[in-house]
Amino acid sequence: MATPSRSEILTLFRSLLRSARQFQDYNIREYTKRRTIDAFRHNKTLSEPSSIAAAFSDGQSQLQVAKRQAVVYSLYAPKIKSIMDIKH
Amino acid sequence: MASKIIASTVRRSLSPKLLPLIRPLSTAAAAAAAPAEPYDSSAGISMKGVKISGRPLYLDMQATSPVDPRVLDAMLPYFVSQYGNPHSRTHLYGWESDEAVEAARAQVASLINASPKEIVFTSGATECNNISVKGVMHFYKEKKKHVITTQTEHKCVLDSCRHLQQEGFDVTYLPVKSDGLIDLNDLRNSIRSDTGLVSVMAVNNEIGVIQPMEEIGEICKEFGVPFHTDAAQALGKIPVDVNKWNVSLMSLSGHKVYGPKGVGALYMRRRPRIRVEPQMNGGGQERGIRSGTVPTPLVVGMGAACEIAMKEMEYDGKRAVKLKDRLLNGIRDRLDGVVVNGSTERRYAGNLNLSFAYVEGESLLMGLKEVAVSSGSACTSASLEPSYVLRALGVDEDMAHTSIRFGIGRFTTEEEIDKAIELTVNQVEKLREMSPLYEMVKEGIDIKSIQWSQH
Repeated sequence: MATPSRSEILTLFRSLLRSARQFQDYNIREYTKRRTIDAFRHNKTLSEPSSIAAAFSDGQSQLQVAKRQAVVYSLYAPKIKSIMDIKH
Repeated sequence: MASKIIASTVRRSLSPKLLPLIRPLSTAAAAAAAPAEPYDSSAGISMKGVKISGRPLYLDMQATSPVDPRVLDAMLPYFVSQYGNPHSRTHLYGWESDEAVEAARAQVASLINASPKEIVFTSGATECNNISVKGVMHFYKEKKKHVITTQTEHKCVLDSCRHLQQEGFDVTYLPVKSDGLIDLNDLRNSIRSDTGLVSVMAVNNEIGVIQPMEEIGEICKEFGVPFHTDAAQALGKIPVDVNKWNVSLMSLSGHKVYGPKGVGALYMRRRPRIRVEPQMNGGGQERGIRSGTVPTPLVVGMGAACEIAMKEMEYDGKRAVKLKDRLLNGIRDRLDGVVVNGSTERRYAGNLNLSFAYVEGESLLMGLKEVAVSSGSACTSASLEPSYVLRALGVDEDMAHTSIRFGIGRFTTEEEIDKAIELTVNQVEKLREMSPLYEMVKEGIDIKSIQWSQH
């Protein structure tokens, strides 16, 4: 596919962070947020179009996984939240 | 036209509330959906006499690890629609299931730099250890009568060796130094002409020390002895290479690499070929080594977990070191008398085993109910004995009793570490306040010099 534009990349970034917020589980939510930010920061320096396109499509498939799993995890969320979600 | 407008309004008003309305469609599902739950209300959970306001934060990654959502995503299709038996040769269900199993096999093999033909799927690392220890020795029992292992191995290896001893084999249990590593000269001197197997685990589950695998592999190659390693805790955390380590057999576990429980893999070298006597007899699946239907969803999960581990090993490793330093420095800044069990250099950062002096272990654990940690290993915590691993290190009984194992993993956050520090330090300070032994130490009395009077 053609090299994604800056706005497409930003949209992907925001969608990933939005899907992170949907997770009820504290650990998965924080991990998704953190991993997204770190991965995008790490890939910021990529210059070759093919590697940018590869990273972008990898990000898109991860977004699909995150969306599906956010639904699955919410179906089976425990009634009592993690201590980390309650205290702060 | 009007009916369409009505229908769409009805749909729009109902859709936001759809998810909570999912009801079990049968009484069986309803019964299955409500197991005996701990009494819980908005006030929290009360179980086994302990009340906590929320689910504890999880710092016990060596006991098991949570399933990564990406692994669950890979597994679900094989529970829902692609449920065939991979050994059914006659229809699509079997073919697609078999394809998935072979793809997973390749994923596991690439993480340890092996060929997919050398991977056998089992029900877990315990089964792999059984096959390796008992299977190898029974196969070569005419010529080989001797097994070498260490004192800090996992219970399943030690128990299999004890079983072999009862059958008449000789077993040498190598002692470990105080940092948890074996002495390579001890190993060299213990090898006899009839040694059939050397079994040394790569990363210890209780103290996290990494044994000198390459050096042990070289010694085994020199003497021509098969080398088995239990790499359940090492997989996905440190680089594992069966050729660099020169292993003939390697036990791998699914649920330690953020995969599902109930699956493991055994690596068996093909050049030179190592033969084993199967422990599970049956239809000859998995090349006759392990009969029984291969559980496709679990195997797919383990494969996905291995692939993710390969991509994330560097990132997770760096994070583990950062979090371990934060935890250790946070505790050491506020407490004295904290001892790290096991070597500090040759260690996996995600496993931190600390002993707190002048504190009683059981009471420390009872006060740490908001953190899920373990003392000793899950296998030995049912009995009252202090862990045999710590005893093999030469740790004093009282320090062995107060050891806590913090397990840091992929999903651990800095806030969880800070909270764990807070809770641990508070509990230890509270206990030390009450402890007369600590008072004596503060006054400068040497505890070991006290003559306890006998009544």
